[in-house]
Amino acid sequence: MSSPAVQIRHRVPRIAQEAVERARLSVVPRTRTRAPKVPFVTLVSLLLVGGIVGLLLFNTSMQQASFAATALEKEATDLAARQQTLQMELDELRNPQRVATEAQQMGMVVPSAPTFITLGGGSVEGVKTPATAEDRLNLNPPAPVKPEVLAPAPTIVEVPATEVPAEAAPEPAKKQNRNGR
Amino acid sequence: MPAANRTASRTTARRGSPQLRLRVGLILIAMVLSFFGARLVQLQGIDPKSYAAMAAAEGVQQVVLPAERGDILDRNGVPLADSIQGKMVIADPVMTADDAPAIAQILSTGLQVDYFRTLRALRGREEGSRYEYVARRVPSTLASDVLDQLSEAGFKGITLEDDPIRDYPADDVAANLLGFMGTDEPLGGFERTFDAQLAGQDGTARYTVGGGNRVPLGENSVVPASNGEALRTTLDLDLQWFTQRVLGQTLQKYRAASGVALVMDTRTGEILALADAPTFDANEPLEADKEDLGSRALNDAYEPGSVEKVLTVASLIDAGKVTPRQKFRVPALLHRQDRPIGDWFDHGNIKLTMTGILAKSSNIGTVLAADAFTPQDLTTYLRAFGLGSRTDVGVRGESPGILTDGDVMTSQTKDRVAFGQSLSVNAVQMTAAVNTIANGGVRIAPSLIQGSATTDEGVEVGTDNAEATRVVSEQAARQTARMMERVTHEGAGVAPMAAVPGYLTAGKTGTAQRVDDECGCYDGSTTVSFGGFAPADDPRFTVYVAVHAPQVDGGGATIAGPAFSRILGYALGRYGVPPTDGKPSRLPVEW
Repeated sequence: MSSPAVQIRHRVPRIAQEAVERARLSVVPRTRTRAPKVPFVTLVSLLLVGGIVGLLLFNTSMQQASFAATALEKEATDLAARQQTLQMELDELRNPQRVATEAQQMGMVVPSAPTFITLGGGSVEGVKTPATAEDRLNLNPPAPVKPEVLAPAPTIVEVPATEVPAEAAPEPAKKQNRNGR
Repeated sequence: MPAANRTASRTTARRGSPQLRLRVGLILIAMVLSFFGARLVQLQGIDPKSYAAMAAAEGVQQVVLPAERGDILDRNGVPLADSIQGKMVIADPVMTADDAPAIAQILSTGLQVDYFRTLRALRGREEGSRYEYVARRVPSTLASDVLDQLSEAGFKGITLEDDPIRDYPADDVAANLLGFMGTDEPLGGFERTFDAQLAGQDGTARYTVGGGNRVPLGENSVVPASNGEALRTTLDLDLQWFTQRVLGQTLQKYRAASGVALVMDTRTGEILALADAPTFDANEPLEADKEDLGSRALNDAYEPGSVEKVLTVASLIDAGKVTPRQKFRVPALLHRQDRPIGDWFDHGNIKLTMTGILAKSSNIGTVLAADAFTPQDLTTYLRAFGLGSRTDVGVRGESPGILTDGDVMTSQTKDRVAFGQSLSVNAVQMTAAVNTIANGGVRIAPSLIQGSATTDEGVEVGTDNAEATRVVSEQAARQTARMMERVTHEGAGVAPMAAVPGYLTAGKTGTAQRVDDECGCYDGSTTVSFGGFAPADDPRFTVYVAVHAPQVDGGGATIAGPAFSRILGYALGRYGVPPTDGKPSRLPVEW
């Protein structure tokens, strides 16, 4: 770096000298803001701790709710089952067969012809036919015919009387007893 | 080399050689990382889903939410078949075998099951078995009560699983129509025909469980079960019960093989009661004969006998061929081409009116009157009355009956068809045909289902689909009804015992020879029947009773007549139909 070069430098950018002066950077003294640290740290820790504790509480309460939900659900299922069982019992009680049996035990008979009483005038419509014992309805229908599997034909064992020795005689009798049952 | 190494290691130990340490460390790290890499490929590359599933399954429970089967209801909404929550009781023999007798005692008393069978289940029917049914379809409440007892006594190894129960509260009432359920699937009747509607769709629930409780933020997805829809029938539970009992009593009294009885609402064609006998207990279908499980009213075709004369006479009147007062000379025997036609009662030459022919049920008279018809005329009318084609009420395996086409029918066959032989019908067809007269000549298709329902064959059935077609003119129907009234008049007709006291009752007896299925010939037994309606001048109910093969001597009037009267009387009383003020029919029967 000798003088001619420097001279050229001096001579040529003279025009931009001011701009160069301006563009030259210099260190600015740091402005230190002395904000107090403690409130910020406290706030953040509070937020953190509060968040964690809140989350825990929230979780616990949800867990609690889940226990309650399970218990209530079980109760609902039980109650629904009980209601259905009671409904079934009610339907069984409503069975016309049962009602008719009770009524007949009280001495009631289904009339052979209906008669009507007019509530206003008290007049009776229809032919008054007395209910007799003949009108009694046979409430117990014959038992259903059982399938062959449940009611097999009796096995009949024919024993030739002449050829049977004395001690073998009781056997057919035993067999018949079993079939009879 | 070893010497150099030794010196090197000595120097390393003292001041450390970073090159070597780095190299060894790098190799170690590379080895460890390559293990990780291999594991990563194993986990993510090869079958990653199974691991994901395993992870998900940890603590996740999947349960089936069983759909509730739809009820079958009567017309008033009273269940004929209903479903309740039930449980199956399952034993794990590994846990129960040691205490089997004690557990079996609690189970057998609590659930009312056989002690010894329970004992076998608790000990395991097979070696190494861990799943044995102790009882199925136990009411939920009962099952959990017994389970509580067991856990109080300190026994383990019994678990419960869902197993819905199908209950028929009225046992045998309408059993032939309702059908019944097998272990898991419907095996007959409405249960099977309308299974798609009744069954519903099971749902599922998946959720994460911890300690018996759902984890709140864990997996939780529910596909709710869609319950089956109820099927509403047109039957009336109480009337159905009464009809069954009366029919059962009639069968017992006359030692008959089988029988049917129907009650139909005249105006709507709804069947209020359809009794089949012998029947069965829908709760215990296996204890009945297989033959008795279907509905004979629809599945069996038989020759209707003289009840059919009503249809012939109504058609003749409608066509203007006869009048109720028309006079006929009825000979003792009518010689026709192949064989002579006789009457059920001995008589010489008698003078009967058309009404008299119907009231006294003269075959000869009917044949003489029907001479005005060609076979085509007669069959066209009978088909319009609904004979020869299915009623499609929604019962499986319905028999359409047999009605020969008019163009191939011989005159002999026509003669016999005119008084109800040489053709076959099912009981519902016949009831609907008689009901046509009651309903002023308009046939309403019978129905058993309220609203509309689709059978498993894809046929829409029910009251919504019931069609009304005019068969005979209103006047012809009214005149026929007046003639039928004479059947139940003491002295004039043959069936005074079929009349409902106080009501104008119209009806017609029938006694037909029965065809034996095996030989295809008349076997000497008879079908006796009675069809009719009341009040005759404003009909509300049509009742039809048919009894097959009674072993006690009697005809339609003496066997089916009284049953008809009782059932009709009960229906009139139950629906509050008072007697009408109409004058009884005075049509002459003789001249």
